[in-house]
Amino acid sequence: MRRWSAGSLSFALFSLVFLLTPLVLVVLFSFGENPHATLPFGHPTLHWYEELFANSNFWAALKNSAIITLSVGVLSAITGTAAAFGFSNMREGPAQIGLQFITAPVMLPPLFLALALATAYAAIDAPQGVLTVIPSHLVFTQPFVVLVIYSRMATFDYALIESARDLGASPLSIFLNVTLPIIAPNLIGASFLAMAVSLDDFVITFFTIGGGMTLPTLIWGMLRTSLDPSINALGTLVLVMTVGSSIIAFKTTRYRG
Amino acid sequence: MSRGASSSRRTVAQIAPAAAVLTVFFLLPGAYFFLVSFWQIKRYKLVRETTLENYVDVVREYLPSIGFSITLALIIAAITTSFAFAIAYLIRFREGRLGTLILFVALTTLFGGYLVKIYAWKTLLGSTGIINQALMLIGVIEQPLDWLLYTPLAVVITLVHFLLPFAILPVHASLRGIADAPVDAARDLGASRFRIFAEVVLPQCETGVVTAFALTFFISVGDYVTAQLVGGPNTLMVGNFMQSQFINRLNAPIGSALAFSTLLATLIVFLALRYGFRLALGGLRR
Repeated sequence: MRRWSAGSLSFALFSLVFLLTPLVLVVLFSFGENPHATLPFGHPTLHWYEELFANSNFWAALKNSAIITLSVGVLSAITGTAAAFGFSNMREGPAQIGLQFITAPVMLPPLFLALALATAYAAIDAPQGVLTVIPSHLVFTQPFVVLVIYSRMATFDYALIESARDLGASPLSIFLNVTLPIIAPNLIGASFLAMAVSLDDFVITFFTIGGGMTLPTLIWGMLRTSLDPSINALGTLVLVMTVGSSIIAFKTTRYRG
Repeated sequence: MSRGASSSRRTVAQIAPAAAVLTVFFLLPGAYFFLVSFWQIKRYKLVRETTLENYVDVVREYLPSIGFSITLALIIAAITTSFAFAIAYLIRFREGRLGTLILFVALTTLFGGYLVKIYAWKTLLGSTGIINQALMLIGVIEQPLDWLLYTPLAVVITLVHFLLPFAILPVHASLRGIADAPVDAARDLGASRFRIFAEVVLPQCETGVVTAFALTFFISVGDYVTAQLVGGPNTLMVGNFMQSQFINRLNAPIGSALAFSTLLATLIVFLALRYGFRLALGGLRR
């Protein structure tokens, strides 16, 4: 380990400023009177939040986002955990191939998945809405749960399960009383990660929701029409929710990169 | 029933739900989407006659835009990967909490506010935006710079910002795997900084760097939202044409042929680059 030279220190600080400035500014603008997103921010105000909360589209979008995000969180936790258990029972080689398959939807640009799903839904005349968005998100959020739980199972002490079985516990009882409590932090973290990804998704939602709205598609609508200053308030809420989920996710899984 | 058979049956049952989701909502739609690229729209109806005409159209009309998107994506991926490497290198080889803080910021803003980030850059880079305001305030410029927003540069800045956390993670993960001992040994034996970097550090983090580059390259090629919001009317990525074939022209076959052609071209460029780097890296070591 070496000490920081002046050059590397200023580069590191620049990186930090570069990463954070856009996000911090949106938050600051949401609390300032100046509607033009320029300096100075103006007097502190909650006006843009009042305006946002008076907008009926906001509540409709929030409701859809909540339904989609929570469903995707729960469903990814179930399919992802089950698959991770399955893969951790397999030999390393086949398991890695299976993991490659399961994570394939994350590797492609989202537009590709979005267009494929939109085309397929149109072909079978599926009524588009929240119910088509949920599985469309699930297919690219479940890989995150699979990866987190699979790597947890690599250091899992299987002797605990064997002793429980020798003492006559049923598979369900073993899962509920032995496995689940041990992996719970990782599972909660992985689900929050899946929820952050789902909550923030714009492209796939936009192509699979039909006429409905979520928070990101509402932001998109506000950007396309007029520059409504309450967009900063909405942006701040989305940031708080997605960054909040991510912080919970990385704190509970103790993920360090 | 032997215990092995029941355990392998259980493994299949555990993987089945996720595999079903993958099949129904990824593999099948992907396969159908591929088939559609060989069909045509006639009088607003999808006609299932196999033809290569869509691909001929793509080559005739969209080759320049595929080329432009790949070029811009290469620039973005190169900048993002180098930037991420420098950050991850400092996190790994400098003491103190600053590195941990940068890593924490990268992790927590990874999935936070894709649209919000693009929108924030739109306000930052505009002619009345904060960057111009600041530059005029300190007297560097007298007139606002009008080439910051609605140019390819704006797309590069915005996507580098969005993708940086995605690139930091894999590079950091592979740098973390490098033990101190070989680095110290090389230094004690009198190796120059460059030789330590080229012969000890670089070979061990190749996977992370390649992953970061691939991820940022592929996402950039397929991104259209950034170009639409900050690129202006003259910066159109191939994704903009793809989505407009679907939304405005209701022509899924052309859109699909465009998507698969872009994917193929991207893959070829990526593999060629990786092969080139392998050769170059081999030369560096010798």
